[in-house]
Amino acid sequence: MSQLSEIQTGFARAVLNAKDPVPEGVESHLRTKPLKRFGVYRNNVYVSLVSVLEGRFPVVARLLGEDFFKATARVFVEQNPPNSPVLMRYGGQFPEFLEIFEPVADLPWLGDVARLEWAWNLAYHAADREPVGSEALAAIDPSTAASLHAEFHPAVQLIRSVYPVVTIWSENSKDGEPDHIDAGAGGEDGLIVRPGIAVEVRHLPLGGAAFIAALTKGKTLGEAAEAAFEEDTAFDLQANIAGLIASGAIAELRAG
Amino acid sequence: MQSKTRKISSLAIAGAFAASVAAVGATPVVAADDMVKCYGIAKKGENDCKAGPGTSCSGTSSVDYQGNAWKLVKKGTCGQVSTPAGKGSLTCLTTRPSGQNYQCG
Repeated sequence: MSQLSEIQTGFARAVLNAKDPVPEGVESHLRTKPLKRFGVYRNNVYVSLVSVLEGRFPVVARLLGEDFFKATARVFVEQNPPNSPVLMRYGGQFPEFLEIFEPVADLPWLGDVARLEWAWNLAYHAADREPVGSEALAAIDPSTAASLHAEFHPAVQLIRSVYPVVTIWSENSKDGEPDHIDAGAGGEDGLIVRPGIAVEVRHLPLGGAAFIAALTKGKTLGEAAEAAFEEDTAFDLQANIAGLIASGAIAELRAG
Repeated sequence: MQSKTRKISSLAIAGAFAASVAAVGATPVVAADDMVKCYGIAKKGENDCKAGPGTSCSGTSSVDYQGNAWKLVKKGTCGQVSTPAGKGSLTCLTTRPSGQNYQCG
């Protein structure tokens, strides 16, 4: 007689491996191995996980078309079963999977589109926090601005891509036919914020991502501005600070 | 080791900071308490919460404008929202003018 945990492990393995036989302990009233019935169970597990991915990556699903997406997602589910019982955490490896999945090799930007959608999901489920308000900002002496440290809102996500990922995403997340997009038009960086309850995806200006990345690493406003100028001399410091504050990306600005 | 030459003076940063704070001013960010639950207006899978029995909250509505799925909207605007399936409502909708029925319980 097997231990319960062994039966459960064997059952779980058989559910996710379509070629495995019906697991030990699973019998029908006819005392035969119910291969078809177990197949129904197995299929329900796949179908529900595929539909989780479809809901989480709607733009990737639209770009690939329903049938192709479902077939792709099924292969992903086979190779990456959930490792958490919380479904909102499922699908984090999907972007990397798309980058090495041979049938979509001619869509090299697809992984970054999925990455943006995953970041959207993280922002959606992130903790609530009030973004920095005008009173707190007014209390800061501008002459100390260069040494300020920024604490970001928990929902903030940064996306950097060598493809026009923000345009691809936004054109395909609205109703109607997307505009023509030149995938070779150059890279785009995006900032994902959720100051209240609605997730927003913003296209960052030149140097903006380097600025935010430096601030995230604990650099001061002055150091981050230098990092941004180093990446792109067209970096507009004033517009970037204003953009970060107005978008609700910053939770707190601290001295020193 | 010689420290790196600063390309941007702290004065320039002070100026940019002051100007951007002034530019942002008092941008109102809609707070959650200005929002109400509005039933019957969410598109499929875009509800903020509540749908039929057996579902677990947000993003689970399975048809457009499902009567028992709500979306947060700004206070005072819910009844003004018209959808092809009828107007939005502050309470759960068991029936819609389109003839569909939903479980509210």
